[in-house]
Amino acid sequence: MSAYLGVLKKRLSISFEYVGGLTILLFRTIGWVFAPPHKRFQLFDQMKKNGVDSLAIVTLTAFFAGIVLALQSAYTMRQMSAEIYIASLVSLSMTRELGPVFTALVVAARVGASITAEVGTMKVTEQIDALETLATNPIKYLVVPRFLSLCIMLPLLTIIADAVGILGGYIIGVANLHISHHLYLKKTFDALVYKDVFTGLIKALAFAAVISIVACYEGMRTKGGAEGVGKATTSSVVISCILVIALDCFFTALFYFVWR
Amino acid sequence: MIKISKLCKKFEGQEVLKGLDLEINQGETLVIIGRSGCGKSVLLKHIIGILDPDSGQVYVDNQHVAALKGKDLVKLRMKFGMLFQAAALFDSLNVFENVGFALLEHTDLSREEIHQRVKQALLSVDLPDIEKKKPAELSGGMKKRVGLARAICNKPEIILYDEPTTGLDPIMADMINDLIIRLKEKLKVTSIVVTHDMVSAYKVATRIAMLYDGKIIAQGTPEEIKNTTDPFVRQFITGAAQGPITDRREQMAEDIKITGKG
Repeated sequence: MSAYLGVLKKRLSISFEYVGGLTILLFRTIGWVFAPPHKRFQLFDQMKKNGVDSLAIVTLTAFFAGIVLALQSAYTMRQMSAEIYIASLVSLSMTRELGPVFTALVVAARVGASITAEVGTMKVTEQIDALETLATNPIKYLVVPRFLSLCIMLPLLTIIADAVGILGGYIIGVANLHISHHLYLKKTFDALVYKDVFTGLIKALAFAAVISIVACYEGMRTKGGAEGVGKATTSSVVISCILVIALDCFFTALFYFVWR
Repeated sequence: MIKISKLCKKFEGQEVLKGLDLEINQGETLVIIGRSGCGKSVLLKHIIGILDPDSGQVYVDNQHVAALKGKDLVKLRMKFGMLFQAAALFDSLNVFENVGFALLEHTDLSREEIHQRVKQALLSVDLPDIEKKKPAELSGGMKKRVGLARAICNKPEIILYDEPTTGLDPIMADMINDLIIRLKEKLKVTSIVVTHDMVSAYKVATRIAMLYDGKIIAQGTPEEIKNTTDPFVRQFITGAAQGPITDRREQMAEDIKITGKG
């Protein structure tokens, strides 16, 4: 029994240490965001790599998600002759939930993995030490542009994912379920209020912070050559995805109970 | 001048430096020798302030390195240049951006002036016209020389060399040794070279110190080290497989087996 307690205590202490490390890195990063010099080129470069280059995969995922959502809900709605509500269901689900979460999961896998692999390789090849010897703070130089780029691009990608997901639902609704074009659009926009989009964007911003900080943290504590980089990259994606889902649960509950 | 006193550092319970004391005088080339993994690179990283000691102090020009923060730390680090074992060039930047990194990040010099400085630094290491190449396009020896150009580009007062000749062919290794001597004579810098290559150590050093078991166990001129009677130093400099260093390691392994402590 005491052995189990010992293991539990050790695991808990490692988890607290990890969350503590992430929090410290987050606050340090926010501190460095405002410290000059502000290198716009690095930020734009990261925005392109992390945001623009993710556009295709995010669009594709959201489009399929919209189609699947419309088809699956049609299965039940048809039985109640309530197909028309599919438009509202798709628009609300996409903006409040699926748009932000799917985009974040795709970005965590694509961008989070790439950030960890890049920063981790820099760590094991002493490039981060070299940065410090050249009087450059690694958080300012490496973490800040990645953090800011995701905080800007993930909400933008989410807006696009919301729109494309709704388009996917629209195509099924109009072409397959034979709902009139005008009626589908009317029901889509009648159901939506600013709050729905806005809460989705707040979630996207929080997910961006989590993905970038976890990816950089894992990269900066990588040890042990290529094997270490592989392990850090896996951990980064797994932890980011779990935290995205957990944060989504937290925000959904918060918006449900506090901000109705 | 650099003064290190009672420096201790542990990694995951393993003591690497155990109360190390060392002084490095201005303008000299001190070579620190010792077996792989004995803490030579760790010592260099303490001198430049990348690692914080568990206890003990490092003073550079009477400034306590671990206590420096912000602009003071930037100022101190601009006094240094460091050549890493595997060069540690930034993969995403080309040679010009690598060599001129400190100048681009921390000075108000114009792009043209930085270009001139980078060109000069690359000429000092006999590598003209490679500014636009990426590190992946360079050979091991070229990477090391670009690393050296980066270390000297901001005209440092102190240069740290971490295993400058490791992994190079003998001719390239000797070229790097010549470069270290030339830079010392030309730029009048203080140099600290960490190596286990004795040919290189004898050639470039004005003083040699041996790091063993977390402490400096011997120091002197290359001649004094060559003629030392200390059995630990003798085994290392002659490269003998049998001797007190290996005996001690075997004894420790035996003790672990007996007590069952791994």
